[in-house]
Amino acid sequence: MQVEKFNYDNRIVRNFAYATMIWGAVGMLAGLWVALQLVFPAMNITQYGSFGRLRPLHTNAVIFAFVGNGIFMGVYYSLQRLCKARMFSDALSKIHFWGWQLIIVAAAITLPLGLSQGAEYAELIWPIDLAITVIWVLFGWNMFGTIIKRREKHLYVAIWFYIATFVTVAVLHLVRSGELPYSWLKSYSFYAGVQDALVQWWYGHNAVAFFLTTPYLGLMYYFMPKAANRPVYSYRLSIIHFWALIFLYIWAGPHHLLYTALPNWAQSLGVVFSVMLIFPSWGGMINGLLTLRGAWDKVRDDVILKFMVVAVTAYGMATFEGPMLSLKNVSAISHYTDWIVAHVHVGALGWNGMLTFGILYWMMPRIFGTTLYSKKLANNHFWLGTLGIVFYAVPMYWAGFTQSSMWKQFTESGQLKYTFLETVTYMKPFYAMRSLGGTLYLVGVLIMLYNIYKTVKSGKLIADEPAEAAALAKDSGRHTGEHWHRWIERKPVQLMILSLVVVLIGGIIEIVPTFMIKSNVPTISSVKPYTPLELQGRDIYVREGCYTCHSQMIRPFRSETERYGEYSKAGEFVYDHPFQWGSKRTGPDLAREGAGNLKKSNGWHFRHFREPSSMSEGSIMPPYPIFLEQEIDTSETAAKIRAMQTLGVPYEKGFDKIANINLMQQANSIVESLKTDSIRIGPNKEVIAVIAYLQRMGTDISKTNN
Amino acid sequence: MFKFIKQYAEKIEHAQVYPMISLVIFFLFFVVLLYYVKKMDKQSIATLSNIPLDDKDESTITNL
Repeated sequence: MQVEKFNYDNRIVRNFAYATMIWGAVGMLAGLWVALQLVFPAMNITQYGSFGRLRPLHTNAVIFAFVGNGIFMGVYYSLQRLCKARMFSDALSKIHFWGWQLIIVAAAITLPLGLSQGAEYAELIWPIDLAITVIWVLFGWNMFGTIIKRREKHLYVAIWFYIATFVTVAVLHLVRSGELPYSWLKSYSFYAGVQDALVQWWYGHNAVAFFLTTPYLGLMYYFMPKAANRPVYSYRLSIIHFWALIFLYIWAGPHHLLYTALPNWAQSLGVVFSVMLIFPSWGGMINGLLTLRGAWDKVRDDVILKFMVVAVTAYGMATFEGPMLSLKNVSAISHYTDWIVAHVHVGALGWNGMLTFGILYWMMPRIFGTTLYSKKLANNHFWLGTLGIVFYAVPMYWAGFTQSSMWKQFTESGQLKYTFLETVTYMKPFYAMRSLGGTLYLVGVLIMLYNIYKTVKSGKLIADEPAEAAALAKDSGRHTGEHWHRWIERKPVQLMILSLVVVLIGGIIEIVPTFMIKSNVPTISSVKPYTPLELQGRDIYVREGCYTCHSQMIRPFRSETERYGEYSKAGEFVYDHPFQWGSKRTGPDLAREGAGNLKKSNGWHFRHFREPSSMSEGSIMPPYPIFLEQEIDTSETAAKIRAMQTLGVPYEKGFDKIANINLMQQANSIVESLKTDSIRIGPNKEVIAVIAYLQRMGTDISKTNN
Repeated sequence: MFKFIKQYAEKIEHAQVYPMISLVIFFLFFVVLLYYVKKMDKQSIATLSNIPLDDKDESTITNL
């Protein structure tokens, strides 16, 4: 057979590697900043730098900019070598690279501007969603083009993980981005309330699964054998690992919604599949660690292997913890607390971070034809990173347990022992310690940047790395006596379709029933659509990212009903596009903020927004004096009402035309009530809308109770 | 737009059997998969798992 000569494209790999490092540092710096804001609220500088806007910037930067570029870096390096072929098209590679960076820049501009859809990890506005779709398809095109023109007959297991990643992320992104634009930048989610929650966490959990996990497992299956210079421990296990993981993961989303208003059957489904996930996850971890069998002595000297061992161990810890957190009785304690923050950071800092660093240290000297500048600095980075994770995670676990027990503690006479504010101020030392862990980790990354910079300077990019391989003989289809799986292993398109089917069946079964069975979301006759002013206020709530700290979902526990009132019902959220249940209670739940014992005067809210600590001493909430200055954008009211009507919210026909009149009437009544509290302000200020929204919260249900 | 999807979804008849069918399909899929994996011959496993290492140019570079 004729041997063909060709070149691997290392330039694109280098570009993605640079982007990974730079965005990684930026995303982690944003993380450190928001962590410090919880200790020093004065660090909420201007509206563009408030916690609610920067926290989405941190999560999006780390997930899509740092890990995203890390995925592309690893895929572009390994795919070419595993297929013994150059990437399908240099032009597509370039468009993919620059397109993705533009998306990141667009995110970095829009999120601080408060342009957000209010869904975790899916905050980006609809035009960016469209751009992501286009770029993702181009990436897939380039990947499949390469796979099809490959010179290696079999698709190594890493490539299966890449294919599953491509297919599933496409499906997730399309379903989650179901939104109805009402202006050039803004839109409402197609889904409301419980359905939106289900879609969100089906998406959110699978973003963890198919963006932070499967592509990185693919990278582990390539780079770990490379670094250890020995094949993966068990190829058999990798096959089972692959299918079991993609089958089970897709069902696990509802474990984010335990004890919420989500139908019980969906919660149970989520629990069962989450618990089962421990098997494929640990199968993968064991496979990774045992790849080092007989080479453990190398781990002592080889810093790259050290990074990889910590990464895989962190993966094992996080995927043991995940199923445990999915048990209802554990979730009852952990949900809404900093325990979850610790959990995700073991995954992000440990698994994604450390594996990325290991790959960078292994790969960068190779594509620059040189050796690593300083092994010592890399070792320092390793220890700073590892200690950083410990110093981050331990205080957060401690904080989580403490928070939860303080929330749930009753006095002997049956009263709640702590006010919410007491539990917040108690957390401050933990938040400070966590920031120290984050600082250590970030310093490690900066050392790596310097080390790689010096390495790059000492070498020269081998932009077109020469390689040679025999051309692939024409495949005549399935050979007699050949196993069907071997046939699939050679066929990328079949593998993609099968993965798609596996993923779709999981997703459809989880979501379709809630659309079908009306009784899943019992309607409550007293629940009415928001008034135009409340709707405007709600949109400001979404814009400011209030959901990053406040939940709107009271679980049916005595400790919660005592504190917040009647537990939340599915029927209360039928007009919530998007839902705002939140996932973290850095501040108290707001579902019944306008009802029962929690109701406060308009004047209280006004002063609280201007300076939260003036009403709640020790509060770490950012002040919102801008609400007193900025005006409600009434030019959009009519379009908003029309969009809601299209989505099925029963406003009367023609209501859009009189919506602003209705808005001003309600605003004037709030202005009047504020006057009795000696506050004078115009009815068109944003604070009026936000107060209207908060005073509405939870009142529908109390009407029925009365 | 969402109403359109819902409208048709509601009309699927006997939809309750779908989850059961899919469970059976996947159970069988994994039984067959396990059987296949167990039956794979050692030679081909060795070939497959060595694909990443089958790259002579790089293994000569030692950078640490």
